[in-house]
Amino acid sequence: MYDKTVRRRRAVLILLVVLSLLLLTAYFGEAPGGRLHGVQRDFLTVVSPIQDGANKALKPVRDLFGWVGDTLHAKSQRDELRKQADKLRRELVADQSEKRSYHELVALYHLDQLSVGEYHPVTATVVGKSPNIWYETVTIDKGEAAGVHLNDPVVNAEGLVGKVAQVASDAAQVDLITDSTMGVSARIGRSNATGIVQPKVGDPNDLLLQYLPANTQANDGEYVVTSGTEAPQFPSLYPPGLLIGQVTSVNEESAYKSVNVHPLANLHELDVVQVLTAGSGSRPANLASAVASLPAGQAASGTSGEQLASTGAGG
Amino acid sequence: MSAQGIPAALVLRLAALAVIVVFLQIGAVSEVPVFGVNADISPLFVAFVGLLCGSTLGAACGFAVGLLVDLALLQTLGVTSLIFTLIGYWCGRLRELRDPQAALTPLLVGAAASAVSLVGYSLMEFMLGVDAPVSFELVRQIVLGVLVNTVVALLMWALVRRLLEGALPEDPRRRRRRRAYTTGGLSPLSKA
Repeated sequence: MYDKTVRRRRAVLILLVVLSLLLLTAYFGEAPGGRLHGVQRDFLTVVSPIQDGANKALKPVRDLFGWVGDTLHAKSQRDELRKQADKLRRELVADQSEKRSYHELVALYHLDQLSVGEYHPVTATVVGKSPNIWYETVTIDKGEAAGVHLNDPVVNAEGLVGKVAQVASDAAQVDLITDSTMGVSARIGRSNATGIVQPKVGDPNDLLLQYLPANTQANDGEYVVTSGTEAPQFPSLYPPGLLIGQVTSVNEESAYKSVNVHPLANLHELDVVQVLTAGSGSRPANLASAVASLPAGQAASGTSGEQLASTGAGG
Repeated sequence: MSAQGIPAALVLRLAALAVIVVFLQIGAVSEVPVFGVNADISPLFVAFVGLLCGSTLGAACGFAVGLLVDLALLQTLGVTSLIFTLIGYWCGRLRELRDPQAALTPLLVGAAASAVSLVGYSLMEFMLGVDAPVSFELVRQIVLGVLVNTVVALLMWALVRRLLEGALPEDPRRRRRRRAYTTGGLSPLSKA
């Protein structure tokens, strides 16, 4: 009797471990359109209404905990925001004149019709979040039925949040910019040099803008924005000028420079986001050729502010 | 009673609880950061099921919860299942071999299960390959995660035990111990 129990116990363990390893191997080896990925998407389609309902039912609980946390941080945030407001006021004055010249350039190159406004923002609610450090993902309540496609950029009022990684009919999974699989082409404020923003796994409040030319000028507090398409043959998933974060420190390296970036979007407390949906290839292709025809230096200085404005207003 | 001697009522309760725990985790607990990290109640649930129901049910529950988590969050299938299966089995074996009764047992088991879960995940991800740079903050996140989960462990233990109480199979060793306590000694004869 005892032997039978022991044998059964060991058999169950071995069976489950082998099953897990088989699943892992099969999933890891297959393409994103594979059968197991399909099963996951179908599962998401089935459970998304439940997740949505659970999210709404549990919102008061989250709000209560959120309120306690917000109250504790409110004072330090207020002081920090006052400093930022002063700095931004000074920058606004300086930017006024640049904006004027930017408008002239935009009219000159017939680019005024190109903006983030060309995307069709779909507003979605975050209904689930991964608790895992390695999977910085959220689930939203909009999917293919609302026009959401794979790799669509996702933003909120503060800046870039991530991109759509999986789509079901009424739900989608969004990889946040702090997810270990993410990489976003970006530039620092008015600089022309571009690099790749990657997360630092384990630190959700820090990103790394890497592969910047060694002579790139970077200062603490400068904004990092998406660079958009640099070369037409390699179109970027993200429109140019979307805010990503602020430079916190600069690392001097031999061949390249890298900077640490604090993400502007509060990725811990995402509630409502916008998915920038667009006809595949239409706008990025137009923009790429248009940006390529601009003289160096001018495209970078103007586009960010204008496109940020349209992102904020969109949707 | 099912074919393997596991009460059907217990299996049903475990299945319902597993679904509730996963949705509660994804929909609420993950969205409430504490000291910059999130509590993760799913490994705690698996550990306590193992501690209450034994290694076989612990491992099976771990696999099911892990699969549910991986499916719902579109993560790499099998990673969470593997880690949770081992957690459930290990906690079940702890009960079967030692049957710890100390009040702090759930706290320690919760902390250990959380640590195994977080470290196990990191090891698996390293083995599968990481493209992004890894920060030393990862260690701090793991330590904080374990601490936050340890705080939640007692509450989770009380909940899981209460919800499974009526359906748990009677354990002869526990029955003997309870009888000894209620009669005031090891045997009624000892009073004579």
